[in-house]
Order: sequence, then structure tokens, then C-alpha cells
Amino acid sequence: MTKKLYLIVAIVLVSSMLMSACGVPAVAPAPAEPVAEQAAPAVAEPAPAEPAAVAEAGKIKIGMISAFTGLFSGFGEMQKQGAVLALEEANYMAGGKQIVLIMEDDQLDNEQAITKSKKLVEQDKIDILTGMVSGDEGLAVADYMKDKNIPVIPMYSASEDITMREFHPMIVRTTWTGAQSMDVFGYWLAKEKGWKKIYQIGEDYSFPWNQSGGFMRGFCRGGGEEVFSVWSPPGSTSDFSSMIASIPLDEGYDAVLYNGGGGDAVNFVKQFVELGYDKKITLIGQSNTFEKPDLDALPVDIIGSYSPHHTADDLNTPEWNAFKEAFNKRWGRNPSAASEFAYSSMRVILRAIDAVNGDVSDKAALVDAMLKVDMTDDPRGPVSLDPTFHSAIENVYIREVAKAEDGTLYNKGIWTVKNVSQFGPYDPETYLKQPIDGNTYPPQKCSDFPPVMLDAENVYEFVEFGK
Amino acid sequence: MSRFRINPVKVTFYVIAAIFLILLPYYVSQYTVTTFIRIIYFGFLSLSMGFLIGQGGMISLTQTAFFGLSGYIIGIFGVERGLMFPWPDLMAIGAVAIMAFLFGMIAMGTHRIVFLMITLAFGQVCWAFAAQNTTILRGWSGIRGIRPFVIYGINFNEYQNFYWASLILFALGIFILWRISKSPFGLALNGIRENPRRMAAIGYPVYWIRVVAFLIAAVYAGLGGILAAYNTGIIMPTTIQLSRTIWVLLTVILGGASFFFGPIVGTFVAVWLDVLISGVTERYNLVLGVVFLIIVLFSPTGIIGIFDQMRNDKKFNSIINFFSPKKEKPNS
Repeated sequence: MTKKLYLIVAIVLVSSMLMSACGVPAVAPAPAEPVAEQAAPAVAEPAPAEPAAVAEAGKIKIGMISAFTGLFSGFGEMQKQGAVLALEEANYMAGGKQIVLIMEDDQLDNEQAITKSKKLVEQDKIDILTGMVSGDEGLAVADYMKDKNIPVIPMYSASEDITMREFHPMIVRTTWTGAQSMDVFGYWLAKEKGWKKIYQIGEDYSFPWNQSGGFMRGFCRGGGEEVFSVWSPPGSTSDFSSMIASIPLDEGYDAVLYNGGGGDAVNFVKQFVELGYDKKITLIGQSNTFEKPDLDALPVDIIGSYSPHHTADDLNTPEWNAFKEAFNKRWGRNPSAASEFAYSSMRVILRAIDAVNGDVSDKAALVDAMLKVDMTDDPRGPVSLDPTFHSAIENVYIREVAKAEDGTLYNKGIWTVKNVSQFGPYDPETYLKQPIDGNTYPPQKCSDFPPVMLDAENVYEFVEFGK
Repeated sequence: MSRFRINPVKVTFYVIAAIFLILLPYYVSQYTVTTFIRIIYFGFLSLSMGFLIGQGGMISLTQTAFFGLSGYIIGIFGVERGLMFPWPDLMAIGAVAIMAFLFGMIAMGTHRIVFLMITLAFGQVCWAFAAQNTTILRGWSGIRGIRPFVIYGINFNEYQNFYWASLILFALGIFILWRISKSPFGLALNGIRENPRRMAAIGYPVYWIRVVAFLIAAVYAGLGGILAAYNTGIIMPTTIQLSRTIWVLLTVILGGASFFFGPIVGTFVAVWLDVLISGVTERYNLVLGVVFLIIVLFSPTGIIGIFDQMRNDKKFNSIINFFSPKKEKPNS
């Protein structure tokens, strides 16, 4: 009786196979060749036909993975807009070749990020992979891409190990690491403001750990005493009232550092203000806490809150103004750090393709070209790349939340520190000997720090913003 | 006698399907094969859930936790402790079996909505533990760098080899589960699904039959978890979060929960929908939801249910009869 059912299922199966085979025209016309090739026992290297096929098509494919939905969709969206703007300015052309951008959403799920990377690598046969918003996303994708011989350019993903302990030569990060700006921030708060004790509430994953690590190192080096930390998984709750209520007001903490971004930061900061804590204790943030577009959703009571980043909304350089105007014209909103980072990363990619005259078959040469790209005209300030770890050396701005004439909030720069590397003032060798930043390292008390992390020579020179 | 009767249409179907699946890496792109690997490991998971729903009438929301548990064991012992094949894999299956047995002993005292709630609670506890434990399970970041092994000179990092291994495992798994569901044990389970009290009155150990069924299903979820961990190279809390559980439940119902092959068909459709739609729109879940609604509206018994209805449709039968070879009616 069930034979008809089987017949139908067989027909469906066959037609779906045909459909899936047709979906990949690159393979369909020559079925004989792959058979011969793969029948040979275990060819270890990736199919050599790939670069040739791409060259024939005359297009260069750039894959972009990002969290366009989920907790950090605001950053994902900003990132997309920045990247698209850079491509449109170049008219989707570089090195005489047409550029194709293929975007995939990973819903801020690392497993999805890997699945989508597989899709981009195996089906779309991309030449360059970029994107990535969260720290873990970048680590997961970098791990998967280790043996794929495709350049990976993380945009907003800032876990330092991508360009440190898990670095591989195909990675070029023209943006930042979590500790980079926070080290400066912590040092500034302890040294210049004279703060001694900080109460930190953080999202429990790699990027905030890295931000916290940088903050604690800077804070303790500058003369601070303690950074007490409380952690909760990202996106696990929208009710922070119990966490806020347990902030001790009488134990001499100078400020509360909220170490989180995106939807969590909006919820936390709103409830912090609703419960009246903004009147009782100072609130400071990590790099993302007061970032756009989430800043628009925050109450005005947080004016004056400090945070560090590599951009500031009132940068008054010709490069930033030109970028801001172009971004505003195209998308009808002001750019954020995420969009600037995406814009600048995409520009590096395009300029590198120009430098190799559109021949992207030699990936090592392409990476070399990226490292040599001149980034002195970057909107956020001059950027140079470290040739060993392929990471950025750039300005850090200390900012405070301010109110613009039209009533909207923005991040006003107050101090600039130039040429900060991902290792801060430390020597790379010493730095890499330390454990990976986590929720138990560095220690909460500055007196428990290894001495070598406390007596590094100060290289930060605080320049008044805009000078 | 009737047991060994050969049905030519059925045999042809199996042979065609087997040839298609075995030769798959030769005539489709690498990504299509990768997608089939995904269908296989999610197939294990939905088979696990579908077996409990279809054969035992138990809607368990814990299966994803077993899926993740085996992945975590592979991550902890394979990557961080550096044990060689087959130890992490055997430990993973062992751990899943022990967990399922212990939890089954607790949960099987309950029925229906209470059972649903207790399995939901257990799944959520596992998820919360995985998300918050940063010392062993690495919290939100998860464990990275899981790679398949090289066994007897066969490198399972090659996607073709990994696909064939998964396929063999899946075919074996389906066959064994099929035999189980047709065995006296499976029939007893069906009886419990229909009326546990009557089965108890007849003298069946209802409680223990359900515990064993739960254990079998958990092992299937665990097998899927092992393949998933090797294939994605990462294990993290989002693997076992509630939305994943709901997605699996959805694929089971989409395919047809009351049919043995329903979960596999459902997974096949849902995964391919994801692949085809994700490049076009970000609203994958919306499209999947609409497809789900449409299918459930027209056929409450899922996709296989549609074919089942067609089989009883006269006009459709005449078309099918035209193609299928004439055969004497089997004496049933």
C-alpha cells in the first residue's frame, strides 16, 4: 500500500537533488572532472580550480558575516551600512575588477557563524571574508578559517586573541581589541581623576572580559586599588533591578562600570536611571555602552558618563566630516564606531585589491598589500598596522555623553591618546606570557597583580581633544 | 512468508535513494554535501524527539540538552584533555546514557503537561549551567577547535569521508530505530501512548518501558551531537538554547510526528529552506513559520500526511497507477 508514497518521495528526492545540483552552475557543466579528482585518495589541498574559476568570472567576491538580527543587531546594521558606503564610493570596482558583496546573517550564534562561513567558502567561493560583530563570533570564525587560505578581516569583533594567541597570517584586523581603549581609560581614571575603587557589572563572554582586562591593567598601573566584578550572561535577562539594588553605596566605590553593550546596555542604563542610582553613584561605560544607535534609546540623565573608544562623534577633522556627511547623505543618520570600522576595513580591502591590480589569486600577497595600505586618511584618525600581529595602532579618545543642540545625545571627545597598540604600554612578550583575560583574571585587587604588569613605563600622552 | 516478500517499487526506491546519497559528493558542490551533513545530525536530533512523540506520546524538550552534552564531552575530553578516538566519543555516549537514565527515572513518573514542563525545566537548567560555567564549559564562548580524527589512515577532516561516515551511521541508526519501533517493545510503547493505564493493567512495566524509550532517544540525540560538534568545530550554549529545541519540535511536526520518517523529512525541508532563503532575506524564521502554518493548516499530520491524504485521493491515485507497474493485490 505504501509503494505510491515511496514513489512520490523518490520523485521529490530526485527533483530536489536536481534542483540543488542546478543551483551550483560552476559544478554542473563538468561532472566528469570532479569525479576523477575526488576518486583519487584524499587530496589534502583545496581544489586548485577555484582561483582560475574566479579569475574567469572577472569578479572578486567578498563575504560578510554579521549579526543583523539578535542582541547586537544595532551594531550589525551599522556595520553593514559602513561597508556598503565604502563599496558604493568605489562604485563596486577595485583593481579593474567588479566587487561582489555577499552578506549572511548569523543571528549572533557562533555555530550559525561557522555554518554561514562554510556556505560562503564552499558555495560562493569567496576571496575575502569580513564582518563579525561580537568577540566570540570572530574567534569562532577565525578558528574555522585557519586552514582555508582566505584573508579574514574582522571588523567590530574585538577579542584580542584573534590577533594574539590565536593569530594566523591570513588575519588582518584594521580595527581594535577590547583592551586597547580600556587600558587607556582605566589609567586615565586612576591617574588623572584619582579614583581608587570601581564596581563592575559585566556581560559574561570574551569581549567584555577583554575590555575588563584592559581596564584593570590600566587602572591598577595608574594607582587604583580594586575593581570588583559581577558577571551575567549576555541577553539572559532584561531585569537588572536586583543587580542594581545590590550595588553597595557605602563602601567607597568611585563609580559603577557597566561592561556591556547593545540591548543589555539599554536595559541596564534605563533601569539604573529609573531606580535613581544615577544620583547616588557615577556611571561609566565600556566602549559600546553609550554607542550609537543604542545611545538614542538612553535617558538624558546619563550626560557626563565617560567611556573610551577609537571614534568620537564630534571629531572635527576633514576626513571625519567628509565621512559623516557621506554617511548621513546615504543613510540619513550619523555614523557610529561600528560603521566607521566597517567603512575603514572595507576601504583597506579595496585599496589592497587596487595595489595587487585585481589579482587576488595569491592570498599572501593580498594580505601583504593590506598591511602596506596607507591609512593616514582614515576618518577616525591615522591608523597603522603592526606587521607582526596584523593589528591596528591608532588613537584612543576618552569621551563623555553630551547633549547636542537638537536634544540628541552624542559622545563628546575630551582627551586624545595617540598611537596606542593592542599591547598598550607593555612589551608583547611579557603581555603574551600572562593568562587570557577572563572573568577571574585579572585579579580584583590590584595588590594581587603580577608586578611586571604594574611597572610598565607610561607611554600615554594625554592631549586635549581636538588639539 | 509475507515478511520476506520483496516489493519491487520499495526496493527500487531504496536502491535509488542509496545510490543518490552515496554518490552525492561526486556530483554536487561541497556546500550541498555540508548541508546534507547538517541534515544528518539535526536528523538524529529530530528523530530522537520524533520517536518519543510518535511512538511514545511523550513531548520531551530535553533532547537538545543531550545533543549538547555529548558535544561538550567531545570538547572537554577531545580538545582540552587531548584523548584520542574512540574515547571521547564513547564517553559522550556513556554520559548521555547515564544522564538520560537518571533523569528518565525522575521524569517518567509524570505524564503529559507535567512531563513537558519537567523536561523543559531540565533543558533550561542545562542551558543556564553551560552559559554560566566559565571554568569547565567556557561559558558563552564555548569550546572551540574540535576537529574530526584520522582513523586507520582515513582523514575525516575531508568532508567527503565525514559525510560517508555520517551517512553510514545515520542509515544504521534509522534501521535500528525502525526495528525497535516494530518490535514487541515498540508495540508496547505504542500501547502506552494510547492508554498507559490499560497497559499497566495488562501487566506491562509501563514506567520502565518509558525510561528505556527515553534512554534510546537520548542516545540518538547524543549521536547527533557528536557529529554536530565535529562538523561545526565548536560547542556553545546557543547549541542547546530553547529556540533550538522549539526549532526541532517544529521540524518534527512539519514532517509529521506520527510517521516514523516524518522528523527526517521535516529536518530536510527546514534545513534546505534555511539554505535557500538565508541569501535572500534575513527573515528566515518568518518564512519558516509561514510555511509551517500553511502545511499544518492543510495537513495537521505534516508533510508526510499530505502524501498520505493523496494516497486516498482517487484522481491522484489514477495518475500514480499510470506510472507504477501493475501488480496483483497483496493479501494483507
